[in-house]
Amino acid sequence: MQDLSLDELAALDEDGFRRHVRGWIEANYPLEVRHPTRRLHWHENRPWYLALSRKGWLTPGWPREYGGMGLDAARQLVMIEEMERFGAARVNDMGLVMLGPMLIRHASEEQKRRFLPRILSGEDIWCQGYSEPNAGSDLAALRLDAADEGDHWVLNGQKTWITLANDANWIFVLARTNKGGRKQEGISFLLLPMDSPGVTVRPIVNLDLHDEFCEVFFDNVRVPKDMVVGEVDKGWNYAKALLGFERIAIGSPKLSSSGLARLRALAAAMGKDKEPAFLDSYARFSMELADLKALYESYVERLKRGEPIGPDVSILKIVQTELFQRITDAMLEIAGGNAGLLEPMEEGLHPAGSFLLARPSTIFGGSSEILRNILARSVLDLPA
Amino acid sequence: MPATATEERAEALRMIRDSAAVVVPPDGGLGRVRGLRFTLPGIDPAVWRSMGAMGWIGLRLPEEAGGAGLGMAEACALLEELGRALVPEPLVAGALSARLLAAGGDTALLPALLAGESLVLTAWQQSADSLEAPGDREGARLFIPMAAAAQAFLLPVREGGALALYAVEGVRPETRRTQDGGHVGSLLPDLAAARRVAPNVGEAMALALDEAALGTAAYLLGLMERCFAMTLDYLRQRQQFGKPLGSFQALQHRAADLKIQLVLTRASVEGAAAELDAGATGDARRALVSRAKARAAEAAMRVTREAVQLHGAIGYTDEYDIGLFLRKAMVIANAFGSAALHRARYMRCASHPGAA
Ligand SMILES: Cc1cc2nc3c(=O)[nH]c(=O)nc-3n(C[C@H](O)[C@H](O)[C@H](O)COP(=O)(O)OP(=O)(O)OC[C@H]3O[C@@H](n4cnc5c(N)ncnc54)[C@H](O)[C@@H]3O)c2cc1C
Repeated sequence: MQDLSLDELAALDEDGFRRHVRGWIEANYPLEVRHPTRRLHWHENRPWYLALSRKGWLTPGWPREYGGMGLDAARQLVMIEEMERFGAARVNDMGLVMLGPMLIRHASEEQKRRFLPRILSGEDIWCQGYSEPNAGSDLAALRLDAADEGDHWVLNGQKTWITLANDANWIFVLARTNKGGRKQEGISFLLLPMDSPGVTVRPIVNLDLHDEFCEVFFDNVRVPKDMVVGEVDKGWNYAKALLGFERIAIGSPKLSSSGLARLRALAAAMGKDKEPAFLDSYARFSMELADLKALYESYVERLKRGEPIGPDVSILKIVQTELFQRITDAMLEIAGGNAGLLEPMEEGLHPAGSFLLARPSTIFGGSSEILRNILARSVLDLPA
Repeated sequence: MPATATEERAEALRMIRDSAAVVVPPDGGLGRVRGLRFTLPGIDPAVWRSMGAMGWIGLRLPEEAGGAGLGMAEACALLEELGRALVPEPLVAGALSARLLAAGGDTALLPALLAGESLVLTAWQQSADSLEAPGDREGARLFIPMAAAAQAFLLPVREGGALALYAVEGVRPETRRTQDGGHVGSLLPDLAAARRVAPNVGEAMALALDEAALGTAAYLLGLMERCFAMTLDYLRQRQQFGKPLGSFQALQHRAADLKIQLVLTRASVEGAAAELDAGATGDARRALVSRAKARAAEAAMRVTREAVQLHGAIGYTDEYDIGLFLRKAMVIANAFGSAALHRARYMRCASHPGAA
C-alpha cells in the first residue's frame, strides 16, 4: 500500500480517503484483540499506539504544526468510523484527546515543545488527577494541598478514580495553591511525573473486575514552579477548557457506533435480527446515531476553527453516553441467558461487558445530572 | 375471605419472611455471598440443608408428597427475602425439580432433595431465552444455574405427545461463570445413562416453569427493594456542594420514579401469587405470571442501573456492595424468560390485553 503524505491524503475525495484509512488499518493493526469490551492497559495497546504514532495518525484533530493531521471534522469522523468498524482498541489517549488540545491552546511555547512531542511518540502517557473522595461532582471543593516553598510547591493529599493511573508516567492535577476566596479561585493546574518521590498509586477493581482506575496519594511531593499551566491560582479556567475537550472526546460517536454494530451481530447470533421488534429498535438507534454524528461533526468543526467550547457541549456528551447505554441495555434484553455471562459469549460478542462498559460514561466527565444542571443554568438561564 | 382468614394469611406470610433469618444474617451482611463468588460449587451445602430443614424446597408440594403445602404467596414472600440478601443457593431451580419429581411419583431422588441433602437441577432449557422445555433427545441443555453444585439432573424428554422425565447422576456439566460470581452449566443429554422417572410430566413442567418465573420475579423484587433502600441511605449521607445528595430535586424525582417501579412490581407479583393461590390456571395463569415477570425484570434492571448511577464512581467499584445487586440482576432478569418473551406470551394469553 502506498504511503501518502498528509497533503496527498487531503487531496483524496471522501470515499478515497475512507478506502485508504480502511486499507491501512486492516494491513497494520498489530493486536490480537479486536472489539475489546474493556479498556486495554498500556502494555496491551502500546503496539497500536506506536503504529499510529509512526504513521502520524495518532492525532487527527491536532493542527499540523504540532504533529497532528489537521483533518476537517468530516474526515476525523471517517477515521473514527473506520477504527470502530474494524474494532480497533482504544489506546491510552488522555494526552491525545484531552491534555494535548488544552496545552496547544493554553500552555507556554516551552511547555508545548517539551510535552507535545513526547505525547506523540508515546514516551509520555498521561492521566487526569481531578477528583477526590469529597470532590466529585463538586470538583471545585478539591483540597489537594500545594504549599508554596519558593521555587517549588509541596503537594499533600489524595486524588481518586484516576483512569489508568497505573499505566501513566505523568499526571496533571488540580491543586489548591490558595485557600482564600471563592472555591473556584486558588486552584492551579500542575504537571508532574508519577515517579516523583511521595506519589503512590493504589488500583481499584471496578465492576467489570478490572483495575482500570486508581487512587493516587501525595505525600510531600515536590513540583517545580515551571510545571504550572497558565497562571497560578487560575487553574479552574484551564480545567474547564479541558473539560470541554473531554466532553467532545466522550461525545465522539465511536462507542455508540461500535455498540450498535455489536447489537446487530448479537441479534443475528440470537436469531432475532429479522424480528420486527428488533428492526424497529435498530432503525431507531441507527437514526439517533446519525443525529449524534451530525452533532459531533459540528463540535469538531468549532474546535478546528479554534472557537471556544461553551456549556452547550453538555448536550453532545449526554446524547452520546445515554445512547450508548440504551444500546447496551438492548443487548442485555435480547441476549437471554447470555446477558449474565462473565466472559464473552463468543468471540467479539460480550453483551454483559458492553453493558458494564457503558455504565460509568454517564458518571465521569460530568455526570448526566450535573450536565443537565449546567444546561438549565448556563444555557437556558433558568433561575438558581 | 373473612377478616380472620385474611389476618391468618398475613401472619403466615410474616412468619415465613421472618424464617428467612435462618440463612440471612440479621444485618443483611453480604460477606458470605462475597466469599462464595467465583468459587465452585458456589453454594454452601450447609445452607442448602437448612433450606431443606425449613421445608422451603418442598414449600409448594402437598403434605402427602413430603411438602409444606403452602401457596405461591408464601413462596414469593420467602424468595423476596432471599433476593434482598442475594442468597446464591438455587431455591427456585431446586423447587422446580421437586415439583417434577413429585409429579412423577419419584421416591429415589425426592426425599434427599426435599431435605436439602442433595441438589437436583432440571436441564430443561435449550435456547438462551425460553420458558418451554422442548425435550429434544439430543439438544444441548443450557443455562442450568449453579450446575456444579448438583448431584443429579432431570431431563425432560419429548416422547410422542408426552414429556417424559429422566434422571442422570454423576454427570459433570460444562460451566461458564456469571456476573454474580455464580455459574451456569450446560450438558448433552445421555439417555443411555439416564433413568426414566415418569412417562409424562408435561403439565407439571408447565406449572413448575410458571412458578419458577414468578418466584424469580419475587426474588428480583426483594433485590431491588434492598438496592433501593441502600441508595436512599447513600443519598441521605453523601454530601456534595455542602448538601446531602438527596436534597437535590433532580435526584428526589429519580428516587420517586424508582419507588413507583417498586410499588408496581409488588402489586404485579403479589397480585399474581394471590390469583394463582385462588386457582388461576391455563392462560389466565400464564398472563399473570408473564405480567409480573416482565415488570420485575425491567424494573430490577432500571433500579439497579440507576442505583449505580446515583452512587457515582463508588458505585462502579467491586468493593462497594451496590454493584452486586446490578450484577445479580443481569444474571437473573432473563431467567425463565426475558421481559420481551413474557410480553409476547402475555399478548397470546391475556383474555383482553389492554382492556384488562
Ligand atoms: C470509570 C470512571 C473513570 C474515572 N476517571 C477519572 C479520571 O481519570 N480522573 C478524574 O479526576 N476523575 C475520574 N473519575 C471520577 C469522576 O469524574 C467522578 O466520578 C464524577 O465527577 C462524579 O463524582 P462522584 O463519583 O464523587 O459522585 P458524586 O458527586 O457523589 O455524585 C453521585 C450522584 O449524585 C449526582 N449529583 C451530584 N450532585 C448533584 C446535583 N447538584 N444535582 C443532581 N445530581 C447530583 C451525580 O450525578 C451522581 O449521580 C472517573 C469516574 C469513573 C466512574
